Amino acid sequence: MSEITVHESKAPVIHDPQEEARRNDNHKFAMWLYLASEVILFAVFIGGYALFRLNEPEAVHNAHDGLGIGLVSINTFMLLTSSWCMVMGLREIQRDNVRGMLRWLGATAALGTLFVGLQWVEYRELSHLGITLDIASSVEAYGGFGMRFYAPTFFHGVHVVIGVIWCLLVMRRGARGEFSSKRYTGVETFGLYWHFVDVVWIILFTLIYLI
Amino acid sequence: MSEQSHAPEMAEAANAAAHGEHAAHPEHAETTVLFGRELPYPLYTVVFFGLGILTISEVLVAEVFGGGIRVPILLALAAVKAYLVIYYYMHLKTDSRMFAIALLLPLFVALVSMMFVLITPPGSY
Repeated sequence: MSEITVHESKAPVIHDPQEEARRNDNHKFAMWLYLASEVILFAVFIGGYALFRLNEPEAVHNAHDGLGIGLVSINTFMLLTSSWCMVMGLREIQRDNVRGMLRWLGATAALGTLFVGLQWVEYRELSHLGITLDIASSVEAYGGFGMRFYAPTFFHGVHVVIGVIWCLLVMRRGARGEFSSKRYTGVETFGLYWHFVDVVWIILFTLIYLI
Repeated sequence: MSEQSHAPEMAEAANAAAHGEHAAHPEHAETTVLFGRELPYPLYTVVFFGLGILTISEVLVAEVFGGGIRVPILLALAAVKAYLVIYYYMHLKTDSRMFAIALLLPLFVALVSMMFVLITPPGSY
Protein backbone atom coordinates (compact mmCIF):
# COMPACT_ATOMS: atom_id res chain seq x y z
CA MET A 1 0.00 0.00 0.00
CA SER A 2 3.01 2.31 0.49
CA GLU A 3 3.27 2.89 -3.29
CA ILE A 4 -0.06 4.72 -3.44
CA THR A 5 0.49 8.07 -5.12
CA VAL A 6 -1.98 10.77 -4.23
CA HIS A 7 -1.95 13.73 -6.57
CA GLU A 8 -2.49 17.27 -5.48
CA SER A 9 -6.15 18.00 -4.79
CA LYS A 10 -8.19 18.74 -7.89
CA ALA A 11 -11.32 19.31 -5.87
CA PRO A 12 -12.84 22.59 -7.00
CA VAL A 13 -12.70 25.46 -4.56
CA ILE A 14 -16.12 25.89 -2.97
CA HIS A 15 -17.25 29.47 -3.23
CA ASP A 16 -20.75 28.91 -1.84
CA PRO A 17 -20.88 26.30 0.95
CA GLN A 18 -24.68 26.51 1.10
CA GLU A 19 -24.93 25.64 -2.57
CA GLU A 20 -22.45 22.80 -2.08
CA ALA A 21 -24.44 21.36 0.86
CA ARG A 22 -27.63 21.54 -1.21
CA ARG A 23 -25.92 19.83 -4.15
CA ASN A 24 -24.62 17.05 -1.88
CA ASP A 25 -28.08 16.45 -0.42
CA ASN A 26 -29.55 16.26 -3.94
CA HIS A 27 -26.94 13.66 -4.96
CA LYS A 28 -27.69 11.55 -1.90
CA PHE A 29 -31.45 11.87 -2.34
CA ALA A 30 -31.12 10.69 -5.96
CA MET A 31 -29.21 7.66 -4.70
CA TRP A 32 -31.92 6.91 -2.12
CA LEU A 33 -34.58 7.07 -4.86
CA TYR A 34 -32.57 4.60 -6.93
CA LEU A 35 -32.28 2.31 -3.90
CA ALA A 36 -36.05 2.57 -3.44
CA SER A 37 -36.51 1.04 -6.91
CA GLU A 38 -34.06 -1.70 -5.94
CA VAL A 39 -36.17 -2.47 -2.85
CA ILE A 40 -39.10 -3.35 -5.14
CA LEU A 41 -36.89 -5.48 -7.42
CA PHE A 42 -35.46 -7.53 -4.56
CA ALA A 43 -38.89 -7.75 -2.91
CA VAL A 44 -40.14 -9.63 -6.00
CA PHE A 45 -37.31 -12.19 -5.65
CA ILE A 46 -37.79 -12.50 -1.90
CA GLY A 47 -41.58 -12.82 -2.26
CA GLY A 48 -41.13 -15.52 -4.89
CA TYR A 49 -38.81 -17.46 -2.60
CA ALA A 50 -41.10 -17.04 0.43
CA LEU A 51 -44.02 -18.39 -1.58
CA PHE A 52 -42.01 -21.42 -2.66
CA ARG A 53 -40.81 -21.93 0.94
CA LEU A 54 -44.42 -22.07 2.15
CA ASN A 55 -45.73 -24.31 -0.60
CA GLU A 56 -42.76 -26.68 -1.00
CA PRO A 57 -41.25 -27.14 2.50
CA GLU A 58 -39.90 -30.62 1.66
CA ALA A 59 -37.86 -29.39 -1.31
CA VAL A 60 -36.42 -26.54 0.80
CA HIS A 61 -35.61 -28.95 3.64
CA ASN A 62 -33.76 -31.27 1.23
CA ALA A 63 -31.90 -28.35 -0.30
CA HIS A 64 -30.88 -27.05 3.15
CA ASP A 65 -29.29 -30.43 3.91
CA GLY A 66 -27.13 -29.97 0.83
CA LEU A 67 -26.47 -26.24 1.24
CA GLY A 68 -24.75 -26.14 4.63
CA ILE A 69 -24.07 -22.79 6.31
CA GLY A 70 -20.30 -22.92 6.92
CA LEU A 71 -19.17 -21.35 3.64
CA VAL A 72 -22.01 -18.86 3.42
CA SER A 73 -21.46 -17.74 7.03
CA ILE A 74 -17.84 -16.88 6.18
CA ASN A 75 -19.10 -15.06 3.08
CA THR A 76 -21.67 -13.12 5.12
CA PHE A 77 -18.99 -12.08 7.59
CA MET A 78 -16.79 -10.87 4.71
CA LEU A 79 -19.58 -8.70 3.30
CA LEU A 80 -20.28 -7.21 6.74
CA THR A 81 -16.56 -6.51 7.13
CA SER A 82 -16.50 -4.84 3.71
CA SER A 83 -19.33 -2.53 4.86
CA TRP A 84 -17.28 -1.59 7.91
CA CYS A 85 -14.22 -0.93 5.68
CA MET A 86 -16.37 1.27 3.44
CA VAL A 87 -17.65 3.44 6.28
CA MET A 88 -14.13 3.70 7.76
CA GLY A 89 -12.92 4.88 4.34
CA LEU A 90 -15.57 7.61 4.38
CA ARG A 91 -14.46 8.55 7.90
CA GLU A 92 -10.88 8.95 6.67
CA ILE A 93 -11.77 11.27 3.78
CA GLN A 94 -13.93 13.33 6.14
CA ARG A 95 -10.71 13.79 8.13
CA ASP A 96 -8.81 14.74 4.94
CA ASN A 97 -6.79 11.51 4.96
CA VAL A 98 -6.86 10.44 1.30
CA ARG A 99 -4.34 7.61 1.76
CA GLY A 100 -6.37 6.18 4.63
CA MET A 101 -9.51 6.29 2.49
CA LEU A 102 -7.73 4.49 -0.36
CA ARG A 103 -6.55 1.73 1.99
CA TRP A 104 -10.02 1.13 3.45
CA LEU A 105 -11.70 1.23 0.02
CA GLY A 106 -9.05 -1.19 -1.30
CA ALA A 107 -10.04 -3.60 1.50
CA THR A 108 -13.71 -3.10 0.58
CA ALA A 109 -13.07 -4.02 -3.07
CA ALA A 110 -10.92 -7.01 -2.07
CA LEU A 111 -13.59 -8.38 0.30
CA GLY A 112 -16.29 -7.87 -2.34
CA THR A 113 -14.20 -9.81 -4.87
CA LEU A 114 -13.65 -12.61 -2.34
CA PHE A 115 -17.40 -12.72 -1.68
CA VAL A 116 -18.16 -13.26 -5.37
CA GLY A 117 -15.37 -15.85 -5.63
CA LEU A 118 -16.75 -17.88 -2.73
CA GLN A 119 -20.25 -17.60 -4.18
CA TRP A 120 -18.93 -19.16 -7.39
CA VAL A 121 -17.38 -22.00 -5.35
CA GLU A 122 -20.74 -22.55 -3.66
CA TYR A 123 -22.60 -22.59 -7.00
CA ARG A 124 -20.21 -25.27 -8.27
CA GLU A 125 -20.83 -27.44 -5.20
CA LEU A 126 -24.60 -27.03 -5.53
CA SER A 127 -24.60 -27.90 -9.23
CA HIS A 128 -22.70 -31.11 -8.38
CA LEU A 129 -25.44 -31.91 -5.85
CA GLY A 130 -28.03 -31.53 -8.61
CA ILE A 131 -29.47 -28.15 -7.62
CA THR A 132 -29.69 -26.52 -11.04
CA LEU A 133 -31.41 -23.49 -12.51
CA ASP A 134 -33.48 -25.59 -14.87
CA ILE A 135 -36.16 -27.62 -13.06
CA ALA A 136 -35.99 -30.39 -15.72
CA SER A 137 -32.32 -31.15 -15.03
CA SER A 138 -32.55 -30.63 -11.24
CA VAL A 139 -32.64 -33.64 -8.89
CA GLU A 140 -36.30 -34.39 -8.16
CA ALA A 141 -35.96 -33.98 -4.38
CA TYR A 142 -35.09 -30.28 -4.83
CA GLY A 143 -38.02 -29.49 -7.12
CA GLY A 144 -37.92 -25.89 -8.30
CA PHE A 145 -35.58 -24.75 -5.52
CA GLY A 146 -32.72 -24.03 -7.97
CA MET A 147 -34.48 -21.20 -9.76
CA ARG A 148 -35.72 -19.66 -6.48
CA PHE A 149 -32.21 -19.87 -5.03
CA TYR A 150 -30.03 -18.83 -7.96
CA ALA A 151 -32.19 -15.92 -9.17
CA PRO A 152 -31.94 -13.72 -6.02
CA THR A 153 -28.39 -14.73 -5.05
CA PHE A 154 -27.04 -14.25 -8.59
CA PHE A 155 -28.84 -10.92 -8.95
CA HIS A 156 -27.28 -9.87 -5.65
CA GLY A 157 -23.87 -11.14 -6.81
CA VAL A 158 -24.12 -8.94 -9.92
CA HIS A 159 -24.73 -5.99 -7.61
CA VAL A 160 -21.56 -6.87 -5.68
CA VAL A 161 -19.54 -7.03 -8.94
CA ILE A 162 -20.90 -3.62 -9.99
CA GLY A 163 -20.06 -2.34 -6.49
CA VAL A 164 -16.46 -3.57 -6.74
CA ILE A 165 -16.02 -1.83 -10.13
CA TRP A 166 -17.59 1.34 -8.73
CA CYS A 167 -15.30 1.13 -5.68
CA LEU A 168 -12.23 0.96 -7.94
CA LEU A 169 -13.47 4.00 -9.88
CA VAL A 170 -13.97 5.93 -6.62
CA MET A 171 -10.44 4.94 -5.59
CA ARG A 172 -9.07 6.23 -8.91
CA ARG A 173 -10.84 9.54 -8.38
CA GLY A 174 -9.49 9.62 -4.83
CA ALA A 175 -5.92 8.99 -6.02
CA ARG A 176 -6.34 11.86 -8.49
CA GLY A 177 -7.13 14.13 -5.56
CA GLU A 178 -10.78 14.70 -6.41
CA PHE A 179 -11.98 14.15 -2.83
CA SER A 180 -11.30 16.08 0.34
CA SER A 181 -12.89 16.72 3.75
CA LYS A 182 -15.10 19.34 2.08
CA ARG A 183 -15.96 17.31 -0.99
CA TYR A 184 -16.70 13.62 -0.51
CA THR A 185 -20.23 13.11 -1.89
CA GLY A 186 -18.87 10.65 -4.49
CA VAL A 187 -17.55 8.43 -1.69
CA GLU A 188 -20.70 8.77 0.40
CA THR A 189 -23.01 7.98 -2.55
CA PHE A 190 -21.04 4.84 -3.36
CA GLY A 191 -21.19 3.94 0.33
CA LEU A 192 -25.00 4.09 0.28
CA TYR A 193 -25.06 1.61 -2.61
CA TRP A 194 -22.56 -0.74 -0.97
CA HIS A 195 -24.36 -0.77 2.39
CA PHE A 196 -27.68 -1.39 0.63
CA VAL A 197 -26.16 -4.46 -1.06
CA ASP A 198 -25.06 -5.56 2.42
CA VAL A 199 -28.57 -5.09 3.83
CA VAL A 200 -30.06 -7.17 1.00
CA TRP A 201 -27.60 -9.96 1.80
CA ILE A 202 -28.54 -9.83 5.50
CA ILE A 203 -32.14 -10.58 4.46
CA LEU A 204 -31.22 -13.22 1.84
CA PHE A 205 -28.84 -15.01 4.23
CA THR A 206 -31.53 -15.33 6.89
CA LEU A 207 -34.37 -16.20 4.54
CA ILE A 208 -32.66 -18.63 2.17
CA TYR A 209 -29.97 -20.27 4.29
CA LEU A 210 -31.18 -20.14 7.89
CA ILE A 211 -34.98 -20.39 7.85
CA MET B 1 -42.77 14.96 2.02
CA SER B 2 -43.07 18.26 0.23
CA GLU B 3 -40.18 20.46 -0.74
CA GLN B 4 -41.41 22.95 1.84
CA SER B 5 -41.24 20.51 4.76
CA HIS B 6 -37.76 19.46 3.66
CA ALA B 7 -36.55 23.04 3.41
CA PRO B 8 -35.70 23.62 7.12
CA GLU B 9 -33.44 20.55 7.20
CA MET B 10 -31.74 21.61 3.99
CA ALA B 11 -31.29 25.13 5.34
CA GLU B 12 -29.86 23.73 8.57
CA ALA B 13 -27.37 21.64 6.63
CA ALA B 14 -26.49 24.63 4.49
CA ASN B 15 -25.98 26.82 7.54
CA ALA B 16 -23.79 24.16 9.13
CA ALA B 17 -21.75 23.99 5.94
CA ALA B 18 -21.46 27.77 5.83
CA HIS B 19 -19.97 27.79 9.32
CA GLY B 20 -17.65 24.89 8.63
CA GLU B 21 -19.59 22.64 11.04
CA HIS B 22 -20.07 19.86 8.51
CA ALA B 23 -16.51 18.76 9.19
CA ALA B 24 -17.38 17.99 12.83
CA HIS B 25 -18.72 14.44 12.77
CA PRO B 26 -19.55 12.63 16.01
CA GLU B 27 -18.43 9.41 14.29
CA HIS B 28 -14.89 10.75 14.31
CA ALA B 29 -14.48 10.25 18.06
CA GLU B 30 -11.98 7.53 18.94
CA THR B 31 -14.19 6.19 21.74
CA THR B 32 -17.85 5.23 22.00
CA VAL B 33 -20.09 5.34 25.05
CA LEU B 34 -22.31 2.24 25.14
CA PHE B 35 -24.73 1.62 28.04
CA GLY B 36 -22.76 4.10 30.18
CA ARG B 37 -19.39 2.46 29.48
CA GLU B 38 -16.72 4.09 27.35
CA LEU B 39 -15.33 1.67 24.75
CA PRO B 40 -11.92 2.40 23.16
CA TYR B 41 -13.29 2.03 19.61
CA PRO B 42 -14.95 4.41 17.12
CA LEU B 43 -18.74 4.13 16.70
CA TYR B 44 -18.48 2.38 13.32
CA THR B 45 -16.26 -0.33 14.81
CA VAL B 46 -18.63 -0.88 17.75
CA VAL B 47 -21.51 -1.30 15.27
CA PHE B 48 -19.37 -3.78 13.32
CA PHE B 49 -18.76 -5.82 16.51
CA GLY B 50 -22.52 -5.78 17.11
CA LEU B 51 -23.18 -7.04 13.59
CA GLY B 52 -20.63 -9.83 14.07
CA ILE B 53 -22.19 -10.92 17.38
CA LEU B 54 -25.68 -10.88 15.85
CA THR B 55 -24.49 -12.98 12.87
CA ILE B 56 -22.94 -15.59 15.19
CA SER B 57 -26.18 -15.60 17.21
CA GLU B 58 -28.17 -16.17 14.02
CA VAL B 59 -26.06 -19.17 13.02
CA LEU B 60 -26.31 -20.63 16.56
CA VAL B 61 -30.10 -20.14 16.67
CA ALA B 62 -30.44 -21.80 13.24
CA GLU B 63 -28.34 -24.76 14.35
CA VAL B 64 -29.68 -25.19 17.91
CA PHE B 65 -33.36 -24.25 17.86
CA GLY B 66 -35.96 -26.31 16.06
CA GLY B 67 -39.62 -25.76 15.28
CA GLY B 68 -41.58 -22.58 14.83
CA ILE B 69 -39.78 -20.41 17.43
CA ARG B 70 -36.68 -20.33 15.19
CA VAL B 71 -38.32 -18.27 12.42
CA PRO B 72 -39.41 -15.19 14.44
CA ILE B 73 -36.08 -15.10 16.31
CA LEU B 74 -34.09 -15.23 13.07
CA LEU B 75 -36.28 -12.60 11.41
CA ALA B 76 -35.90 -10.32 14.45
CA LEU B 77 -32.10 -10.72 14.45
CA ALA B 78 -31.96 -9.96 10.69
CA ALA B 79 -34.16 -6.88 11.21
CA VAL B 80 -31.84 -5.57 13.95
CA LYS B 81 -28.78 -6.11 11.73
CA ALA B 82 -30.42 -4.33 8.78
CA TYR B 83 -31.46 -1.48 11.10
CA LEU B 84 -27.90 -1.05 12.42
CA VAL B 85 -26.46 -0.84 8.89
CA ILE B 86 -29.13 1.57 7.64
CA TYR B 87 -29.18 3.78 10.75
CA TYR B 88 -25.44 4.10 11.38
CA TYR B 89 -23.57 3.15 8.19
CA MET B 90 -26.08 4.75 5.78
CA HIS B 91 -26.34 7.75 8.13
CA LEU B 92 -30.12 7.84 8.49
CA LYS B 93 -29.40 8.74 12.12
CA THR B 94 -28.11 12.15 11.06
CA ASP B 95 -29.33 12.68 7.48
CA SER B 96 -32.60 14.18 6.27
CA ARG B 97 -35.84 12.35 7.11
CA MET B 98 -36.69 12.54 3.41
CA PHE B 99 -34.10 9.81 2.79
CA ALA B 100 -35.79 7.55 5.33
CA ILE B 101 -39.17 8.13 3.67
CA ALA B 102 -37.66 7.28 0.27
CA LEU B 103 -36.66 3.90 1.73
CA LEU B 104 -39.65 3.15 3.94
CA LEU B 105 -42.38 3.91 1.41
CA PRO B 106 -41.42 1.22 -1.15
CA LEU B 107 -40.57 -1.15 1.71
CA PHE B 108 -44.08 -0.74 3.09
CA VAL B 109 -45.66 -1.25 -0.36
CA ALA B 110 -43.51 -4.34 -0.95
CA LEU B 111 -44.39 -5.84 2.45
CA VAL B 112 -48.14 -5.28 2.02
CA SER B 113 -48.05 -6.74 -1.52
CA MET B 114 -46.07 -9.73 -0.28
CA MET B 115 -48.52 -10.38 2.55
CA PHE B 116 -51.42 -10.37 0.07
CA VAL B 117 -49.60 -12.94 -2.08
CA LEU B 118 -48.61 -15.11 0.89
CA ILE B 119 -52.10 -15.30 2.41
CA THR B 120 -53.59 -16.41 -0.93
CA PRO B 121 -54.24 -20.18 -0.67
CA PRO B 122 -51.99 -22.31 -2.92
CA GLY B 123 -53.58 -23.16 -6.25
CA SER B 124 -55.80 -20.09 -6.38
CA TYR B 125 -53.38 -17.96 -8.39
